[in-house]
Formats: sequence, C-alpha cells, structure tokens
Amino acid sequence: MLPCYIPTGKMGVRDAMVDKETMMFKMEKSNADQAREILTTIYQALKERGYNPINQIVGYILSGDPTYITNHKNARNMVRKLERDELLEEILKYYLESGRQEEKK
Amino acid sequence: MEKFVINGRRALNGDVYISGSKNAAVAVIPATILVDGECRIENVPDIGDVKILVDVLISMGAEVRFEDRNTLVINTRNINSHIVTYEMVKYLRASYYLIGALLGKFKQASVPFPGGCDFGHRPIDQHIKGFEALGAQVDIEHGIITAKARELKGCSIYLDIVSVGATINLMLAAVKAEGTTVIENAAKEPHVVDVANFLNAMGANIRGAGTDVIKIKGVDRLKGGATHTIIPDQIEAGTFMIASAAAGGCVTVKNIIPKHMESLTAKLTEMGIRVDEVEDSLRVWGNDKILKANIKTLPYPGFPTDLHPQMAALLCKAEGTSTITEGVWDSRFQYVDEIKRMGAIMKVEGRMAVIEGAVNLTGAPAKATDLRAGAALVIAGLIAKGTTQVHNVYYIDRGYEDMEIKFRQLGADIKRVRV
Repeated sequence: MLPCYIPTGKMGVRDAMVDKETMMFKMEKSNADQAREILTTIYQALKERGYNPINQIVGYILSGDPTYITNHKNARNMVRKLERDELLEEILKYYLESGRQEEKK
Repeated sequence: MEKFVINGRRALNGDVYISGSKNAAVAVIPATILVDGECRIENVPDIGDVKILVDVLISMGAEVRFEDRNTLVINTRNINSHIVTYEMVKYLRASYYLIGALLGKFKQASVPFPGGCDFGHRPIDQHIKGFEALGAQVDIEHGIITAKARELKGCSIYLDIVSVGATINLMLAAVKAEGTTVIENAAKEPHVVDVANFLNAMGANIRGAGTDVIKIKGVDRLKGGATHTIIPDQIEAGTFMIASAAAGGCVTVKNIIPKHMESLTAKLTEMGIRVDEVEDSLRVWGNDKILKANIKTLPYPGFPTDLHPQMAALLCKAEGTSTITEGVWDSRFQYVDEIKRMGAIMKVEGRMAVIEGAVNLTGAPAKATDLRAGAALVIAGLIAKGTTQVHNVYYIDRGYEDMEIKFRQLGADIKRVRV
C-alpha cells in the first residue's frame, strides 16, 4: 500500500478540488505491480539460497505449500500476500501480452 | 531416567519459538547419503532422533559436525557400507529412510525393521512394492530388510494407500535411477516437500512434491555444496497451540508456516478458541468455555494424527462429549489409560476415542507410552489440579527440543527431575 495525500471531500475528487481539507488516502497497488514485486523478491531470495527459483515457484503454485519458498528475505510471508490464482493470472497476462507485442514487432 | 514434574493450573502467556521439523529432519539427514559433496543443514532440531541418525552416519564413516546447536554440516563421501545394524537404529522409527538412501547410492541396502514409538503396525509393503518396481529385489529375514538391484530404472508407481514414509523413501531410491519415476497417490505432507527441496538444492530433479503426483528425473550425481533450512515443526507448533488453548492465557507461536496449521486452526476456532494469524505466527487465546468437537485424523491436509493425543487432553475441558477417530494408525490410544489416571473420562470404541468433557483433571503419576502421548500428558498436567509426574521423558525428548524450558518461559511450573 502506498500512502499519499490528496485533497478530497465527501463528494469525491471533483468536490475535493474545491475543498481545502487534507485527508489521507491509501492507494491500492494493482495486482500486476504486487505480483511483480512478490515474484522478483522471492526469485532473488531463492536464488541467493541456492535453489532453482523457477522450479520452486512452479512447485508453490501447483501445490500451494509455502515450504517451497525460503524464509530468506521474508519471502515466505511475502508470497502469501496474493492468492496463487491471482499470481498465476498476472503471470499469464504478462506472458501472453508480451507475446502479442512481440508478434506486432 | 528422567521425569517431568508439573504443578498445574497456571495460565500460559508470551511467545514461543518453534524448532525445525522432526519429521523433515529424520528424512533429510539420511538423504545426505546420496550426496557426493558437503551438505549444510540449518534449523535442525536438537532432539533424540536426530542424535541417533547423526551417530548412525558417523558410525558408517560420514564426517558430521555441528556448526552450532541447530546447524549440521555432513559429508558422506567416505561411507562405503550399505549395512545398518540393529544396535544403531533400535530406537528409531524413521530408520527405513536409510533403505531408500543406501539403495539409491549403492544399489543395495541392509537395514533392520523400524523401532521407535509403537502405535500400530507400520506397513512397509508400499515401500517394498516401490523398490521392486524400480528393479530391486527385496527380502526380509531375521528382522532385516535387504534390498538389492543390478540397476534402478525409472517407473510408474501407484501407492495403494497414502504413505509419507513410502513417498519419501521412493523419492530417495529414484533420485539417481535411470529415467523418470512417477509416484502417484503420493503423500502431500510438508516434510515430503522439504525433502524434495533439499534433494533439488543438492542437484536432483524432482517435480510435484506437495501434490499427489511426483515426477523424479534420475540424475547421475548430487553434487551437494548447498545449504538447506529445515521447515518449522508443524506438530510442535500444534502442541503449543493446544496447550495454550487448554491452559488459558495468550500465547504467540512464532516461526511457523500458518498454512500447515490450517486444520488445527479451523478446529480450535470451531471450539470457540480465538486464533489470530500474524505473518509467520499464530496467537492463541485461551478460553474458559471450550465447545465439544468431533475430529478425524487424516493424511495432510487433514487433521494430523500426531496431534490426536494432545487434542484429547484439551477435549477433557470441553463442554459435552467429543470424539476423535483415528484415520491413520491402527492403535494410537495408548495415552488413554494414562490420562485416565488423572481423572479423564474416556473410552475407546474401535478406532474412536469418546471423551467426556468438563472434567476437572487432577495431578497424578503417569508414563509416556510414545512421543505424542507424552506431549498429551504434559498438557493434561498443565491443566490438572495439583502435581503431575510424567515418566519416560526420553520419548518426549525424541521429538521436542527443550519442551519443558519452552513451557517454563510461558509461565508453566514444570521441571525435569532425575529418577
């Protein structure tokens, strides 16, 4: 979660433009950003501990068992911040969209 | 000989750190036999079964050193015998992992039948079926299991029953076999995954651990040279969660994988006990009012058989009549007669224990009949009025690191006394 401050009022952003009150507003990270952050962190942590990161992440996605993910760099806690289906969805989206862009080139 | 002396009825409060998994460690240590280079293993629990396995490896010619209390460095390159004697392993239930590891390394193994806790017939037939499918000839004579193969060839093995021991043993035997081995109807326990992680880190090619189909592509050698960290002990964590629920107070069980505790967490919640999850910890809030429950033990992800006796101790406090049906072992009810000494009202009908709740347990001398029965008596002692003596502490020491110290840090009045 990224905290940021924007002026707002009861009626929303448009109303906020004329409202001088300042309120804290938490902006949710998109699943895509979160998935990227999680995968990058756990990939690095697994690599540093001498495991094959791709095999371990595939094992986790298939089985759901966090045993596959090292505790190094808090990776095991981090991987559970997104459900497995959400992680897989973002991986597939990225893969397929990258493929489409490659085809266009 | 030692015993625990417990003065009960003191609430437990504070944090407890869970040690490495016994069930993973007793499989990972024999697995080092397959590795050509050095293996560094972290978070190894300092328990009786680990000490026995370390002694076995040393007596076979391995170099083993403790970097610290919980970090082992093992090099098995100098092991040149495939024979394990009865004296080496008579107290060890998990000795059969030595068969798979020695068979994988030398294409032959000679290992006595498993010892350790006695809570029922331990079917070894699924192990034998798998070894034979890989090409080994297996004989049992004079209490010794002998397996021998000219070569081990990958194959497809369907396990007739879900067996953790057979799943791990076949992974060990197949890891250097020629071709691909597929184990179907495999056990999904976290320590199956941990053993696969260890072997993969050392150079193996195992996929699918944690699911019911495991594929093992044989490799020529496991080069080693890696560090592996044993996962936290699911059963030790569960024991402290149950103890906390039983004794009252609020205990945070730290350094665990909450996912592995889901079956217990769900059951405690159903019984009216609050459990909060915070990253790698679970906080358990004791409650005077505990609801009755019906439990059936099953392979993972079902309710673990290794928490059955401890749960029975807790259910003595529940309102109403509860049942525990044992779905894994033939005979896991030896704790019943001992806990009845403390005033518990229980009876066993077939594979089901019927437990009358709302009973005020009273301290009494009792003896641990196996590892988890010992843990159940300690929990019963913590909630009983007066003094409880738990004998045969060596059973508890087989699988729990510093149990009495950890309970004392939570506020229990428990001490270890020489008999």
